This record gives sequence, structure tokens and C-alpha cells, in this order.
Amino acid sequence: MTSTTSTPLPAVDRPQPSATRGERGARRRIRKDLLRSRIAAWSAVVVIGAFGLLPVYWLLVTALSTPESTFQFPPKLIPTDLTLSNFTALAENDQLIKYMINSLVVASITAVLSVVVATYMGYSFSKFRYRGRRSLMHLVLASQMFPQALLLVTLYTVFSSFGMLNTYSALVLSFTTFTMPLCVWMLKGIFDTIPDALLEAAAIDGASRWRTLHSIVAPLAAPGMIAAGLFAFVRGWNDFIFALTLADKEKQTLPPGLVSTYIGEFQTAWPQLMAASLVVSVPVIVAFMFLQRYLVGGMTAGSVKS
Amino acid sequence: MSTAAPPQKAPPPRERSGGRLSNGAFALLLTAPGLALFAAIIFYPLLSALFTGFFKQDLRLPGREFAGLDNFTYWLDGDFLTILEQTLIFTVGATLVPFVIGFALALALNTGLKASGFLRGLFLFPWVIPGVVVSFLWMWIFNANYGVLNGVLMETGIIDESVAWLGRPGTAMLAVIVTKTWASFPWMMVMLLAGLQTVPKELHEAASMDGAGSVRRFFAVTWPQVRGVASIVLLLEFIWNFQHFDTIYVLTGGGPAGTTETFATAVYQTAFKGFDIGRATALGGLWMLLLLLLVAAYLRITERKGDA
Repeated sequence: MTSTTSTPLPAVDRPQPSATRGERGARRRIRKDLLRSRIAAWSAVVVIGAFGLLPVYWLLVTALSTPESTFQFPPKLIPTDLTLSNFTALAENDQLIKYMINSLVVASITAVLSVVVATYMGYSFSKFRYRGRRSLMHLVLASQMFPQALLLVTLYTVFSSFGMLNTYSALVLSFTTFTMPLCVWMLKGIFDTIPDALLEAAAIDGASRWRTLHSIVAPLAAPGMIAAGLFAFVRGWNDFIFALTLADKEKQTLPPGLVSTYIGEFQTAWPQLMAASLVVSVPVIVAFMFLQRYLVGGMTAGSVKS
Repeated sequence: MSTAAPPQKAPPPRERSGGRLSNGAFALLLTAPGLALFAAIIFYPLLSALFTGFFKQDLRLPGREFAGLDNFTYWLDGDFLTILEQTLIFTVGATLVPFVIGFALALALNTGLKASGFLRGLFLFPWVIPGVVVSFLWMWIFNANYGVLNGVLMETGIIDESVAWLGRPGTAMLAVIVTKTWASFPWMMVMLLAGLQTVPKELHEAASMDGAGSVRRFFAVTWPQVRGVASIVLLLEFIWNFQHFDTIYVLTGGGPAGTTETFATAVYQTAFKGFDIGRATALGGLWMLLLLLLVAAYLRITERKGDA
């Protein structure tokens, strides 16, 4: 913005042919444009809305349907006999409750482990400058993009040779492969917003570096750490492939558990499966309602802006 | 934040209060637990995977036998190109279609509709629900005998008899792409909307005043402002889809007749159904080579965008 030569302003008495008519025309055009863009916008919202939300409607309808009305063709788009029996059946299924407890345990431990480890790493990346820092950061970022299916094959052999298959530890560790990179980048973004002056002030007051981190920085970053933890929880809760492969019925989590419970070789219990799917989605939806605020910021911090 | 930061940006205490370590050593110490974990659960397994590709090894048995390049030639002389082609079809489809839909929606919500905050939240739904649930739901919608899609299409007379969308080679890939599109267009929308909101409204008004039509305004005003976000969103989604597993595995398992087989499902099935880890990791190695090129491109683009 520092141009050395400033262009002279045009003379004031420059001829302005039919100023009022042109202006009125432009205004009319803008109004027409606005109307047209409103119409275009609403059409897009309606069409994409149908694509985006009708499946959700169908999820709800099926979850509330009786088995008889589900296996009717063509399906009734507006259901007449609704029932909650699919949900009550869930509550009575001990195996599903076990899967859910497994999911809660594994996703929670994953979240805590990821946040603790990522806090130190993110803090280091954010507040110190040292050789190799950028390479380490890139390594963390890139590790998020390695093929999971391949990683799984060798994690399986590693866990197998340590006798760790079908344990919570195997699930937690394997989930950490995709939650940690995310948390490191989110937390680095959060530490970046904490002014360096604060750390310097703490140092002048005689606080050690550990003390500064634990008693000054961490409390300030707490909301961000909770957000990162929720993200990690959700990712662990949603995982399918690792839990499917590394654990059996005893330690399996809900997503693969639903497959083994409901998807049969010949017939799938669709209403129950849809009801269970809704139940699986609830914690995630609740988490995201809390996370709304961090959503864009977190995503951009982790992947886009760096 | 800025990159151009000098080597010692925020030097917390020099040598005071118990700090026997230099700042650099302290910083590295902080990264140690993370690095140890990364090494143990990501880097070591991936390196060992690359190594295993040269051996003949059964998943269920201990021990292995050196096999040279056998596992690689097995793929390169066989299905490699088919799998690559199908992976690319899935990846391109599942990246571009949600991008277009997400962009259209972002533009619509950015015109200042009254309900746009509410609508944004509502549209996030497909993205928020767990991936497996997405797959179950669409499996049910596409169901050959009782699926709602067949129901609606037959009622409206578009088709005469039920189509087994997921069971026919011609439609399975399309169905998988539609499912993945549904799950990811909201993310595209959120990111692009964030980008669009940085475009000053006045620019549009000024361009409009100058008589630029909506198409012209899009390319002259809007696009240059969101190009950065758009390119990164596209590249990230491309990388993710290139290794995507869940949707394809649940919906089709790579079938019918291998027409939706991608690197992810092929590696998985070879290892856990065929128990041939040598072949699985060999294909995985080839796959990772391709992915690394993509990741390198990603790093270059983010690098250029600012600091890291």
C-alpha cells in the first residue's frame, strides 16, 4: 500500500453525462440482481436441503416403524403407525450396552491421552523456536494422512505379537494415531493466541517453565483443550475399521458392534438398526453443539491455516 | 501468528528457577512423549509395512520367507491399474461433487438469507453423524427390495422395476459416491462459507454498480477471495478420499465383482480375508508412494499460504 507516486484525482468538473439517469439505472439493476440472487439462493437451499435432509427424515421414520411396515413395498413416505419399541429393545440388549460401555471407555481414554500428550507438543511448537521444529510439525501433519488401512495391517501384527489384541489399550493406541495429530494442531493454534508477554511476565516473577505451563498457560487454554478432547472423543467414538479389526465381541465398540448385531447374512433388522444408529449419533451431535464455536476455527487451525 | 519469527521468539526464563535445560532442550523434552507415541504407533508400523512387502507372510502364522519383488509384481501384473482407476474414480467423484454442492450452498447462505445461521446448523447434520451410521442409512435407502429410493422412483414411473443399486456393477460406484457426497458436502460448505465471509460486501456492490453481471462478479470478485480455501479443501478431501475405507467397505465391501475395489479395501481384504500380509503391504507400499506425492503437494500449498 505504499505507492510512491499518487495519481492525481480527476478534476472536479469532469463531465458526468446523465448522472441521475445512470445512477437510477444502476440502482434498479442492483435491486433486480438482489432479487435474482435471493431466488437462486432459495432454490439452491431447497434442492440441496432435500438431498441433505430427506435421508435424515427417513432415518427417523424407519427407527420409529414397526418391522411389518418396514418390509412393505413401496414404502409409505408418511408413516401412520409409529412405535418406540425399537428403542426399548435396545435398552434390553445387554450385548449392545456392553459395546456402548466399551465405546465410552475407549473414546474417553483416547481423548485424555491425546490432549495431555498434544498439549506438551503443541506448546513446544507454539512457544519455542528450535532447529527441527518445522520438520517435526510437518511430520505430525503428514502422519494424519497416511493410509489407515495399511497402518492397521501392521498395527495388527504388532499388537498380536505383544498379545494386545482384544484389549482397551490396543484400541486406545490405534485411535491415537488419528486423534493426536489433530489435537496437536488444534492446541498449537490455541497456544498461539496466548500472548508471549504473559509468559515473560511469569518468568520475571520467578515461575519455572513447568510452572508457567501448568499453572498459567493450561488454565487459559482449558476451553481449547476441552474442545480438542471432544474432537478426539468423537473421532474415537466414530471409528469403525480399527475397532472392527483389533477387538472381538468382548472389547468391540458400538460402530462395528452394530454390524455384528444387526446386519445378517440374509435379513437385516432395519428398524432396530436405524434406532441404534440414532442412539450412536446422539453423543456426537451433543458434542458438536458444544463445539459449534470451535468448528471452523479448529478445522482451519488444524488443516488449512496451519 | 507469523513465521518470520526470530529463532528465540518467547524465551521464557533464562536459567532461573530450576531450569537447568536450555530452551531448545526443554522444548524438545515437551515433544518427547508425543514423538515416542508417534514412533511406536505410526512410523514404526508404516516402516515395517514397507519392509514386509518383500516377504511371503501369512497373517495367521509366525515366520516369513523372503520373496523379493514377487508381491509387487503380483499386483503390477494383475489388478493394480484397475484398482488405481477405481480409486481415482471414487476419489475424484467424492471430492468434486460435494465441492460443487457445498460451494453452491455456501454461496446461497452467504447472500444474507434471514435463516442462514439456522440453515448452516441444520445442513451440518449429515456430516456430524458417525460415518458408519451414514453407511447404514444409505444401505437402507439403496436396498434392492424395500429401499425408499426404488419406491419413489417406481411410484413416479422413472423406473419399472427395483434396481439393486449396490449389487450391480454399473451402479455400485455411483451409489458409493452419492453416499460419501452426502456425508462430506456440509464440511465443504462450512469451510467455503468461512472463506466467503472474508469477502467484503462492498466489493460486490461496487462491481454490481459498475455493471458486472453475477457470473462476472463471481469470477472477478468472489473466486479470487476463496481460491485459497477452495484449493486446500479440495486437496485435503482428495487425500482423505484416496485412502477412504468405511463407506466403501460397509456398502459394498469392494464388490460387486470388484467394481468398487479401491486401495483401502483391497489392502484390507488381502490382509484380513486372504491372510496374505506380504501382498497386502506390497500394495500398501505402492499406494503410500502415491499418497506421499499428494501429501507433498499439500505441504507445498499450505507452506505457500503462510507459515507453518
